Amino acid sequence: MIDTTILSWVTFIYFGAFVFYLFRMILGREFWGKLAGWLALAGLIAQSVALIIRWKASYDLGIGHAPLTNFYESLIFFAWTVVFLYLLIERRLKNRSIGVFVMPVAFLIMAYASIAPGISNRIEPLIPALQSNWLTSHVLTCFMGYAAFTVTFALGIMFFVRKAAAHDSSGVRVFIHLLPSESQIDDLIYSCAALGFIFLTLGIVTGSVWAHYAWGSYWSWDPKETWSLITWLTYAVMLHVRMMRGWRGVRMAIMAIIGFACVLFTYLGVNLLPSLHSYL
Amino acid sequence: MSKKKSGIWFFFASVRLAIVLLLLIAFIAMIGTLFPQREAAVELVGRIPPGLFSFLQKMQIFDLYHSVWFVLLMGLLAVNLLICSLDRFPAAWRRFRLRPVPREPDAFKDLPEENLFYPESDAKKAADEAASLLKKKYHSFQQADEAGSVYLCAQKGRFAHFGVYMVHLSVLVLICGAVIGSVFGIEGSVKMLEGETASGINLRNGNLTMPLPFSVRCDKFTLERYKNGAAKLFQSDLTFIKNDRVIRSARLLVNHPVDFEGFRFYQASYGPVPGKKATLVLLREGGRRDIMNVSTGYTFELPGNEGTFQVLRVEDNMMQMGQAIKVAVRSEKEAATFWVFREIDRIKKVVPDVFEQVPVFNPGLFRPYTFSLLGIEEKYYTGLQVNRDPGAPVVAAAAVLLICGLMIVLFSYARWIWIRIDQVEGRVRISIAGRSIRNNVGLKREVRHLLAKLKDNLENPK
Repeated sequence: MIDTTILSWVTFIYFGAFVFYLFRMILGREFWGKLAGWLALAGLIAQSVALIIRWKASYDLGIGHAPLTNFYESLIFFAWTVVFLYLLIERRLKNRSIGVFVMPVAFLIMAYASIAPGISNRIEPLIPALQSNWLTSHVLTCFMGYAAFTVTFALGIMFFVRKAAAHDSSGVRVFIHLLPSESQIDDLIYSCAALGFIFLTLGIVTGSVWAHYAWGSYWSWDPKETWSLITWLTYAVMLHVRMMRGWRGVRMAIMAIIGFACVLFTYLGVNLLPSLHSYL
Repeated sequence: MSKKKSGIWFFFASVRLAIVLLLLIAFIAMIGTLFPQREAAVELVGRIPPGLFSFLQKMQIFDLYHSVWFVLLMGLLAVNLLICSLDRFPAAWRRFRLRPVPREPDAFKDLPEENLFYPESDAKKAADEAASLLKKKYHSFQQADEAGSVYLCAQKGRFAHFGVYMVHLSVLVLICGAVIGSVFGIEGSVKMLEGETASGINLRNGNLTMPLPFSVRCDKFTLERYKNGAAKLFQSDLTFIKNDRVIRSARLLVNHPVDFEGFRFYQASYGPVPGKKATLVLLREGGRRDIMNVSTGYTFELPGNEGTFQVLRVEDNMMQMGQAIKVAVRSEKEAATFWVFREIDRIKKVVPDVFEQVPVFNPGLFRPYTFSLLGIEEKYYTGLQVNRDPGAPVVAAAAVLLICGLMIVLFSYARWIWIRIDQVEGRVRISIAGRSIRNNVGLKREVRHLLAKLKDNLENPK
């Protein structure tokens, strides 16, 4: 299958972008950053093409549906949204230093999709419950949310790296100058978490509407639903403590990491529990 | 609102309480995913000590989302939301009503160097350009001239003050909707075979049956499969009957519920029922050929009193060799029990001496008859979910309100902008200052943008 071939190349492209972002950090030359940025963009375009091919291929098989319907496809789409969102932020901020924290995540997701055992990359027909117009909007909004939270997490890690390096006076100066200031990272953490929160809310709402039509109840306390609520509550707390209690810096970075752990459990961990939501 | 605010009021108005409650709800929700809930709890019986089981049951761990704990926390959250919103709303209202004035004494205090610039043009032209820029970007502005200096101000995003109250209100409405649903809602289900009529449903809570004010008949159940065996489509053709009159016929599919008299019908599930029908051909050597539909337990006298024939089992996939039925034939002289495979010819091709190896696989074991199986038709029941939830529209309204409110809270900001044009040491000076409730980074960006725009407009007049 041509699409899976392209996708395995994209995995390496993202790894390459990560390596070049790393060169930029170490060598302090913007040239490497630019190269990494273009490489990541090329990877994103190739990945989009692969997704479109996959979409078309499903129609050729007579089981046409958006490529968002099994674990493999969800991982691929997850990586796509992470890179997409990162490149948007890079353009807006004109700062390439977040890339070195985000690209490895995208690479790991792609690699996991292609090498983890038991993940089928075949295009499969849709079971009746998934045959709904809500599928695309639900999956799209959820994964935009997950991606925003992933970038928030990367920013949280970046905050700690920056903080640790600032205390360490030995020879990592170049590296530090390239990173945004602590308060800038803090603002970014807030913005990304807010963006993710909106998308997660939309994802939960579209999911409820869909469940209302498919299962007869807008909320059935299925583990996936429940964990998405837990994630939602965690980020709600994060936004409240920042706006109302003035939390900044280290505390927000810790919240970003805790929130991401909830996201991961909602996405992956729930599969360990019995669930209606067994497709992804 | 009353001025006498007691300690209880402050307790419920606090953000700290809200945070604790949100975390506790998250925690309880998490516990609920670790223990099997409701019907599923039965699986723990026998696997954990009975004492522990009954303790957990008493603590309502097995129905946590409807437990006293959860309801209590939700109730506290509702009170908290209500009180904290009432407590803070008057201040928000005042902020909403407050308009910036051009001559704000503190606005330009400690203004950083980057917020000002010295244009080549004269003060009059600078003021006009600044005014038109503000008009364009903020729709309206106010101006004050004082001692040769011009002061301008504008604002936007006044409604951002209300976003948070919209969100809080939406959560309250959501809780109301959920309460309405749990008090007045009905959740039931019914399983039917083709041709059966149901006039009641099994309620989810308890083992009660509720009669419906009408009856529903399943005329036909259809199941289609993909090549890989997964279900492609399943649907029930339903007829709604009231007072012995057919009111409506409808086709019910997954994701496409059908409404009837305030109840909503969902195609929830399907499943096999015992009593598969096999189509069997009975061939007497040099004689007649009979085709019959049989199921497990079916007994039949062979023509001419040559024996009794009985179906013992009907299997979809006998030992990975496909459909088969097990039959017993008895006569006064002999008795034989054997399997009849549908694909016997294919099995013989793979294992030519199958009848020598396994005599009971020979469908001609009882002479002079030979049996062959044409097919097995699986019988299914259709599982319908039947609900009535008067709270659902309320919850939907809450969801809309929640999303709108969040958009306002997170992406719109109340901002005030001031521009001052004055003269310092004979040069015209333009200063831009701003104030924002949140998002000072965004404010800085906006001020920078305004400065650049104004500079550009002055240097490159159209």
